Amino acid sequence: MVDDPFPAAWIPPYNTLVVAAGVASVGFAAGVVGCFAVLRRRALAGDAAAHATLLGVGLAFLLGGGRRDLPLLLAGALSTAIAALLGLVLIGRWTRTRDDAATAIVLGVSFGAGITLLSGISARGIPGSAGLEQFLLGHTAGLTAADATILGVMSLLAVGIVALFLKESTLVAFDPLFAAASGWPVTLIDYALVVLVAVMVVVGLPAAGAVLVTALVVIPPVTARQWTDSVGVMLPLAGIFGLVAALSGVAVSSAVPRMPTGPLVVIAASILLTISLLIAPRRGGLARWLQARRTVAAWADGRLLEVALRLDSDGPFTREQLLAKAPGVAADSAFKRLVRSAALEPVVTRAGTDAWRLAVWGRELAAERSRRVAAWTEVLEAAREDARGHLTIDVPSPEAILGAARMKAIRESAAAERGAGEARPGQPGQPGQPGQPGGGAGG
Amino acid sequence: MTMSTTSAGLEFHDVTVAYGRRPVLWNVDLTVPGACLFGIIGPNGAGKSTLLKAALGLVPLAGGEVRILGAPLEQVRGRVGYVPQRESVDWDFPVTVTDVVLMGTYARLGWLRRPGPRERSLAAECLDRVGLADVADRQIGRLSGGQQQRVFLARALAQEADVYFLDEPMAGVDARSQERIFRVLAELRAEGRLVVIVHHDLRSAGDWFDAVALIDMRLVATGPVAEVLTPENLRRTYAGRLDLLDEIGRAVAEGGRTP
Repeated sequence: MVDDPFPAAWIPPYNTLVVAAGVASVGFAAGVVGCFAVLRRRALAGDAAAHATLLGVGLAFLLGGGRRDLPLLLAGALSTAIAALLGLVLIGRWTRTRDDAATAIVLGVSFGAGITLLSGISARGIPGSAGLEQFLLGHTAGLTAADATILGVMSLLAVGIVALFLKESTLVAFDPLFAAASGWPVTLIDYALVVLVAVMVVVGLPAAGAVLVTALVVIPPVTARQWTDSVGVMLPLAGIFGLVAALSGVAVSSAVPRMPTGPLVVIAASILLTISLLIAPRRGGLARWLQARRTVAAWADGRLLEVALRLDSDGPFTREQLLAKAPGVAADSAFKRLVRSAALEPVVTRAGTDAWRLAVWGRELAAERSRRVAAWTEVLEAAREDARGHLTIDVPSPEAILGAARMKAIRESAAAERGAGEARPGQPGQPGQPGQPGGGAGG
Repeated sequence: MTMSTTSAGLEFHDVTVAYGRRPVLWNVDLTVPGACLFGIIGPNGAGKSTLLKAALGLVPLAGGEVRILGAPLEQVRGRVGYVPQRESVDWDFPVTVTDVVLMGTYARLGWLRRPGPRERSLAAECLDRVGLADVADRQIGRLSGGQQQRVFLARALAQEADVYFLDEPMAGVDARSQERIFRVLAELRAEGRLVVIVHHDLRSAGDWFDAVALIDMRLVATGPVAEVLTPENLRRTYAGRLDLLDEIGRAVAEGGRTP
């Protein structure tokens, strides 16, 4: 250290850097660990654990003789967080209370106790107690480099554990029944995951506070899920979202005097979430809205063509005639598309100011669509599960989807069924429908 | 990986299971021979799935014991494959078809070891067997019900087991998938494996199974299909369930057709 090129003047920025790095790894780890809390539907249990941390902070403060030693306070927080989770398990096992009620009870009781204890401590004016309320909403300004290092190391450990047991955690989160049947200790893995969530909640306390730290664990995974269909991508992505949220929250709060960091971290996380909920491909609101519109439009176009074919057999038809026979939400715009097509590809041709005929191509399209609708109706009748598995609103060719041989078999069984139905009138329920709805609840 | 010919495939000895104070299985004593397609049939709520779960150690027994390939479950766990009900998982889960099939190899891999090239080629082979090679990289939510069921079957194949338990594999499944599933199950039987299937549809039982057990909390009858699905046995199993009378009538009519 004799040749240290960065003497005293560099110490404050060094401290800031260490705190930033610590907070960044906390955000990253919260996102990664949170993925399994979300996928295993344990987010609310994590929230109960988070609210229980205040009680532990207060107890540790008293036990430590009024020292504001962060590792000690966090150890206290972790012990009450785990006690809360244990309480959840016990209530679930030994009483008939439902999960959501049990969670609300544990959260309320432990948070109430924690607030009471902290208020008592601050009312007595015990020296050193001034900063304890910072654990409520988070405040990173007072963090030392040593504190931040501890937080960072614990976070990276948590990420390491998840990465190591990725295979096992994914299996148990996806299909616990299968995991148990093939010999995995599902309960143990489950508890380990929940304890890991509790650790992340505790480590996240200085950044986000007891009330809001769950948001740091839950929001980044939900955000990441919008963008990917793979756990392997979701985990690091959630980590990055968590990191960005945590860092920007802390950065903004350091610029504003006496601003708690928790709310800012949550705001940053929810901005990322909102954007993702809106614009993510396929799962995003915008994509789904467009898809819904396309669906309605495709159906309306097809219906209009079918009706046009029927009207066309009596000569030219008007817009009003067509729309009267093909009512529906999107019929009007479907008609506009139909007319516009007259210029592009000859589906309809103009036979007067408001008189239309189907062109050859339009007649073919309409006939094919009618044929497909009739064929699918038959499939729905005779082989409902085939239709349920494969029919889509754009009415694909059933032969292309199910195969010509299968379609032939369905037609034959439908014909046989019609014959049988006439021979045995009043028979409730038609034979030949494979499967039953909801027949899965066999236990 | 073939079974010893001497021992029965699966034995239940006086198995009783209760949820709380209420019994769902009552002194079931049932022996299933090796290498066949065996159907467990009964009305909804008869305890069919519970019987499978009892065999797999997923529910605690109130009494009795289960032996698989002549041994307690713990000794043969690695030789047992399982296809749970399709509704038992969240199909929006962010995994691909191949990811799910690879889960069949996890127990053999043990803690920490990841699937390697051997496991991947096995998974591809199993997917090919159930006719899903072309959707291997698709997220599982973007499959039809029949395809999802076949993914579960492929995962069980990847377990390379000698005894298979399937819980309602034909429920809500289209005809093409049903045929495919059945063909694979018949192959497993031909390879000398035992396949035990919980099934709710009486009508198709005769087409698929070598032998069946009729269950309604207790064991009503067991043996070859033609001997078990008699009007008397069906009445004893489905007694008091008026909504099923029609189905019974039809099954009986069809049972009469088979010698």
